[in-house]
Amino acid sequence: MTIGVGRRHLMLGAAVAVSLLAVVETTVALVAPSRAPTDADWVAAGAAVRAGFRPGDLIVAAPAWADPILRVQLGDLIPPEIAARMDDDRFARVWEVGQRGAQAPLSPGGTTTVDERFGRLRVRLVERPAEIVNYDFVARWADAQVSRRDASGVVVACTLAGERVICPAPGNNSLHRQLVEVDQKLREALLTEPVAGAAVVIEFPAVPLGRALVIATGLHDTWMRKAARGTVEARLTVGDQTTELPVTSDDSGWTRTRIDTTARAGQTVPVRLEITSAAPSDRFFAFAAEARR
Amino acid sequence: MKRLSPRRADWLITALLAFGTVVWLLAVEGRQGIGRDEAQYMRAGERYWGWFSELGDNLAHGRPGRSLTPSDIDRYWSDNAPDHPVVMKALYGISWRAFHSCSCMGATHGYHPVPIPARHTTLPLFSRDSTAFRFPAILFAALLVGLVYRFARGWLPRAPSAVAAVLTLAQPHFFFHAQIACFDAPIVTMAFAVGFGYWKSLRSPRWGIATGGLFGVALGVKHNAWLIPFFLVAHYLWMRRGDLRARRLTPIPLVFVAMLVLGPLLFFAHWPWLWVAPAARTRAYVLRHLEHEHYNFEYLGYNFNQPPTTAAMKWLRATAPFVETGLTVPVTTLALAAIGAGVLARRRRGAPVDPESEQAEAPTAERPSWLRPGADVDRAPGAFVLFQTLGPMAVLAVPSTPIFGGVKHFLAAMPYLAVMAGIGLAAIGRALREVLTDVRVRWRPAAVMPAALALLVCLPALVETRRSHPDGLGHYNLLAGGFAGGASLGMNRQFWGYSVLPMLPDLDRRVPENRRLYWHDTLSDAISMYKRDGRLSLEVGDTGFGEEGIKRSEIGILFYEKHWTKYEAWFWQYYGTTRPIAVRAREGVPMVTLYERGAR
Repeated sequence: MTIGVGRRHLMLGAAVAVSLLAVVETTVALVAPSRAPTDADWVAAGAAVRAGFRPGDLIVAAPAWADPILRVQLGDLIPPEIAARMDDDRFARVWEVGQRGAQAPLSPGGTTTVDERFGRLRVRLVERPAEIVNYDFVARWADAQVSRRDASGVVVACTLAGERVICPAPGNNSLHRQLVEVDQKLREALLTEPVAGAAVVIEFPAVPLGRALVIATGLHDTWMRKAARGTVEARLTVGDQTTELPVTSDDSGWTRTRIDTTARAGQTVPVRLEITSAAPSDRFFAFAAEARR
Repeated sequence: MKRLSPRRADWLITALLAFGTVVWLLAVEGRQGIGRDEAQYMRAGERYWGWFSELGDNLAHGRPGRSLTPSDIDRYWSDNAPDHPVVMKALYGISWRAFHSCSCMGATHGYHPVPIPARHTTLPLFSRDSTAFRFPAILFAALLVGLVYRFARGWLPRAPSAVAAVLTLAQPHFFFHAQIACFDAPIVTMAFAVGFGYWKSLRSPRWGIATGGLFGVALGVKHNAWLIPFFLVAHYLWMRRGDLRARRLTPIPLVFVAMLVLGPLLFFAHWPWLWVAPAARTRAYVLRHLEHEHYNFEYLGYNFNQPPTTAAMKWLRATAPFVETGLTVPVTTLALAAIGAGVLARRRRGAPVDPESEQAEAPTAERPSWLRPGADVDRAPGAFVLFQTLGPMAVLAVPSTPIFGGVKHFLAAMPYLAVMAGIGLAAIGRALREVLTDVRVRWRPAAVMPAALALLVCLPALVETRRSHPDGLGHYNLLAGGFAGGASLGMNRQFWGYSVLPMLPDLDRRVPENRRLYWHDTLSDAISMYKRDGRLSLEVGDTGFGEEGIKRSEIGILFYEKHWTKYEAWFWQYYGTTRPIAVRAREGVPMVTLYERGAR
């Protein structure tokens, strides 16, 4: 039995197309492994970055999944507080070690002042206007005055005990600085737990304001996010200006909120964060904040 | 020289394909690490062997009843129960007992889950214990490849049938599972065997009975077998849709009766653990899987570990089996399968799948019969392949279904996808042959073009599969961009902690730090097996699980999966560094990181 001429031509076209596809797929499969950067490429790129590195510089990998290999070469220049930074905005100089044409998601406006290739790697130095931090809430965590206010308005003060602020029973909540995991990324943050029927109040009494206060929030720990679905509500009061922060949930990730404080720039004011949750079980609320000039 | 009959030629090709599968898998399985689940199944298999061994002793002493007491049964068979039935695990244990090279009374004597009273007499086919455990799984993969050829031969000429068989094996994710002592590849074999038997039963009552038995074995391999009847019934109802139109009762076929009767009987008979409390333990087994936890799994940049709650995430989650298929199966195979699907869709009722088909699809009988329910109707081969391919995927597309195994959860679709690819190849090969017939006089090499095409379409699948090994779980196809493309898309890279194997020599050298080694997701059973295999010094330590394990350790490894991120924070915190001392990567994509306390 033979097939019709039209259909035969269609099938013949398919045969040609499939044959070409097979050749391309085979070729790519054979060639692709050689497109990966070699150890020598990483060593050379690492040496170049190290030679030009200045304290305060940020080093990133592009794509981000190459970060562990980057840290093999340059991990001593990427301490935990930099690796788990709140965001990239405070860095004026960013070294990017990229491959396969990928670029790190840096904010626009920078100038590339170094651009060199080391085998399959490309090293770029991007210099850009950076935000200057007046007050880093995570670094200054010991300034925090923590209390718990129940529904009837009774306030219980919490006390500093070693590396954390601890509140008394029945809440037994605490505040401490920790490397947290939010949305499967590490962040240097302050960690606390909301309490049933009460508000956890964290006040930094004297914060020198600049033009903006940036706060990022999220829920810590994949397994805890899996264990419960409750949300956390947070309200930030800067001086007498109160802002309701986005609701923090299992799916909200690391959410940044930028509050314009231009009108109060230069003033030193108290900043208070109030945290509540109707379902606080297994909720580990993490936040980091900076007052920026 | 005597020419082979067509029947013998087919058997020879079947045997060659199966043998080739065994050789390929045995040649490479040693580079494949031992995963969490696999290590548990090896342990359980050896323990089950202990029961058989004791039964032999009891029989020899005329007291077989001792092996059937609840306490004796539970001593051996409660391992890995109620999680999984025991057909494969028992085979793994028996294979180990039969084929390992025994050094059982040596230094690793204490690493066995059951006491070893004396040196084993074995047929020492394999130098590593783990290979002996894996051998039955490899044989099942070979059986599948042979079955696919036999099934496809019913519809197709030899070359495309053989291509379908090759393309079944030459898929990186299936290949990964085909060589390990788990159940995900063996259940594909059994699902296909049941499907094949069902297809033959439509016109042969003998196969109706046999398929009931095959279904019983499938139930003993893995719980995925519960789904098989749904896909077969779907096809059956479609095939006999004329009954509905004519408002007459559809005959209940022998095959379904046999599956209903023999399936549960064999399932119960094969699993001694059930004998102790049949109802309660069967219920525990069923609930174990109906209420299965959603383990973590990365898909398109999201970590899924519970059913999605928003509409957008439900839709995204529903795409998983289809997108994963599209990004993991070699693209040439997918293209051929698409052509094959088109051929099946355009087939006229009663016409053969291929003009050169051995099987006629047109009715061969006037009246319906429960013994031959496919004799009086067109057997609807397109619907059959469609339901067997899309059925397993559709189940995994339901957002409330756990997806933690990725492609392995719907691997049963893959042999049928490969059959469709064979159908596609047959169609374009025939067109090519007809065109070349006209020009052959002028260009003689044209005569080999169809055969060359058959070889050519296997090439990318074979090369991709070879490239993927031993990290098939992290491999993605041309569309995704390989390992790196998969990582950039946020696709799962690995699970089960198997990928440490290539690092073992390095870990072994790091004395004395390796006396306090944190193994992360590598299960202690896997570490024991590495030691039994002689791939790891017995002195290498294991500091245990989680944060405390990292605190106690001097060096430690971390597998890259999204949900393990916080473990890296513990390394940074307790080791005082963010700088790993080594990263095991595939094509630049990190798989495992090695940290050392205080490294700068």
